[in-house]
Amino acid sequence: MQGSGRTLNVQRLLLLGRIWTRRALILALRVSRLVVTALRHLRPGLRYMWKSLLRRWRRSLEFRTVMMTILLSVISFAVVGAYLSNQIANNLFQERLTQAESESRYYVKQVQDTFDGAQVNDQSSVITLVYDTLNAVEGNGSVIQRRYVFEALPEQTKPRNRWVESRASDQLTVRVIPPELRKAVQESGKEQYWASTEFPVGNQDHPGIAVGNKVTFNGTVYELYLLYDLENAQQTLDQIQNVLWAGGAALIIMIGGIAWYVTRNVVSPVSHAAVVSEKLAAGQLQERMVVKGEDEVARLGASFNHMAASLQEQITQLATLSQMQQRFVSDVSHELRTPLTTVRMAAEVLFDARENFDPVNRRSAELLYNQVERFQSLLSDLLEISRFDAGAAVLEAEPQDIFQLIGQVIEGAAPVAAEYGSEVRLTSRNKSIIVEMDSRRIDRILRNLLLNAVEHGEGKPVHVTVAANHDAVAVSVRDHGIGMTPAEAARVFDRFWRADPARARTTGGSGLGLSIAAEDTKLHNGWLQAWGQKGAGSNFRLTLPLRKGGTIVKSPLHLEPHDLGLPGTAADRQVLLVDTQEALPRATDVVPPDQQGTADDGGAQEAGEAGRA
Amino acid sequence: MKARILVVDDDEALAEMIGIVLRNDGFDPVFCADGGQALDVFRSSKPDLVLLDLMLPGSDGIEVCRQIRGESDVPIVMLTAKSDTSDVVRGLESGADDYVPKPFKPAELVARVRARLRPGEQKAPETLRIADVTIDVAGHMVTRGGERISLTPLEFDLLVALARKPWQVFTRELLLEQVWGYRHAADTRLVNVHVQRLRSKIERDPEAPEVVLTVRGVGYKAGS
Repeated sequence: MQGSGRTLNVQRLLLLGRIWTRRALILALRVSRLVVTALRHLRPGLRYMWKSLLRRWRRSLEFRTVMMTILLSVISFAVVGAYLSNQIANNLFQERLTQAESESRYYVKQVQDTFDGAQVNDQSSVITLVYDTLNAVEGNGSVIQRRYVFEALPEQTKPRNRWVESRASDQLTVRVIPPELRKAVQESGKEQYWASTEFPVGNQDHPGIAVGNKVTFNGTVYELYLLYDLENAQQTLDQIQNVLWAGGAALIIMIGGIAWYVTRNVVSPVSHAAVVSEKLAAGQLQERMVVKGEDEVARLGASFNHMAASLQEQITQLATLSQMQQRFVSDVSHELRTPLTTVRMAAEVLFDARENFDPVNRRSAELLYNQVERFQSLLSDLLEISRFDAGAAVLEAEPQDIFQLIGQVIEGAAPVAAEYGSEVRLTSRNKSIIVEMDSRRIDRILRNLLLNAVEHGEGKPVHVTVAANHDAVAVSVRDHGIGMTPAEAARVFDRFWRADPARARTTGGSGLGLSIAAEDTKLHNGWLQAWGQKGAGSNFRLTLPLRKGGTIVKSPLHLEPHDLGLPGTAADRQVLLVDTQEALPRATDVVPPDQQGTADDGGAQEAGEAGRA
Repeated sequence: MKARILVVDDDEALAEMIGIVLRNDGFDPVFCADGGQALDVFRSSKPDLVLLDLMLPGSDGIEVCRQIRGESDVPIVMLTAKSDTSDVVRGLESGADDYVPKPFKPAELVARVRARLRPGEQKAPETLRIADVTIDVAGHMVTRGGERISLTPLEFDLLVALARKPWQVFTRELLLEQVWGYRHAADTRLVNVHVQRLRSKIERDPEAPEVVLTVRGVGYKAGS
């Protein structure tokens, strides 16, 4: 019965143990899962906090100043506080030490005197004497002023006095005395030594000073250590330190507050100015700063407002001018076109009837007809350019297949191409590229480029290449005719500029075609660039963003054709091209300067090419 | 019978020149130099086509266009000195069928006039349907659910062109050629504006068209 009961008990215990282990395991798992999820949830929060702090640090002068002030105050306060508390601790200790040493000297002398005058008769009276003497050292009163450790010197030549054993105050043993101190005392003559130590009082360890001496009783040498409790001094020091830290913390908070207040006072007008100037920049020209007082900030505000006022005035003036210009263009357009229409119709009627005229009148009719045509194209180009200058040109972008447009342009140019004996070839890997564009303008650009290429192509084939990447489409028109120098390529988009004035007159054209093309391109946020080489022909590349308002990172086509080896190294060309770019800052208008370098994979080379556009 | 053409233009020299050209080509021009009287002259002369200058003293050409369109489907061709987008679009939206930008050639003007005067070729009785819209080609009538929808001849031609080939997507250029009679590339805004006007008349919800559908990047086609 008993045996089986014990087995049962054991089994139950085992079972219980297993249950508890399992429970503990489950609990541990749950806790760990909780910790993990908490961390997972907290981590984004912490990261967010860190990021927002970093952002504030970057963006807010106020935050940064306050933080820096607090940090520097903490550092300087820590240094000063450490120095102060160290000084105080030192002083307290030194004071106590001096006292301890002089007291020790006095009491040791007393003890020695008592020992010297003692009658050494029977053991009990000797013991009583010694103990009384030593107890007297502890001082009278409820508080023990000094403790002692009384220990016979371990190695003595003389036979020992066996009656008086080692002895110490309550709770003390000789072990509380640092060995170095004992050694020093043991090896010395009459000198007094001291050391810092710790000894138990009640159930705590108190810091203290042990002062060691030798005393002789009845020929036997003893070490006598007097221990002074430094607990009070320590408490005083702790209190002082507490006050120091508390004061320091309060001071730092106050300094932080002051720094915040001061910077706020200084920074808030500045940030106000920042807000106001941002609004100004965004076009709210009536925005002004609030000016109070006569200090520097007020002066800043006043001069800022002055600046804003003159800015507003000039912008308004410019806007008025632009409006006037626009109105003027529109008026001129109407006023000139109506009579021109009449003249043109009349000229055409005369031209159609020229067969019935005598030779002089016939030729006159022909000249009149041709020159009216020319005058008309010049006028319309001029009006178009002034519309750009007045900022009246509007982009009417619609998604359209650029191939459809190119097809029309090539078809339209076919008669001219046939006249010059050139063949126009279209090359592309794509079949259809939808581009958000103003087809009227793109049509005009491409027609201009193609007709130019045919006119200057000397009857050699003209290649039209189309390619697209994910954000841009490029059309390049390449001829193999007379070509042009890089310096000429840099100027082709200038108004009324002609590579060869004498020649260009016969080919006609207003001299504004490429300028208009460049303006049309700019309106699309695109690039129009020219490359040329004497005798090797030229290449014009139009790059457009696929979507309206998009930006081009890289043109899908190279500006410099791959079909020829150029003389000179890349470096030579670069120097040459950089020169032209500097000489003609207008040349960069078509291509935003920050995009020049990235337009193609050949960075340095491309920068030069872009400069020619 | 000579087609009568009302020329509304304040510039006398131009009006006279246009008159010479039109007469040369066998038309019968009538003139009006003042926008304010344009409507009266229109009523009294009953022209087959109106040539209208956009900028007129008295009443602005767009207003005249709207007035004429208010009481007649007669083709209106605008003469514009301003080829600025907004003016052209405004003119087309006020009801003009086509426009000729100044300065134009006589041949160009005559071609525009002829294109709009194209005598409706003898149409065989033919009924077309797009979505819930029924087109009686010979009767020149468009109905939805028995209710008649009034369209200008140009809008009617546009709708018929789309309805005849419902499987085909028409580019704007193709429509310009078939409906307006342009042989060379012209202003595709003509198509855009007229498609919008057509939609505003025949669609239940012009914002979500069912009859004339846009094919993004290509053009238009008839709904099914």
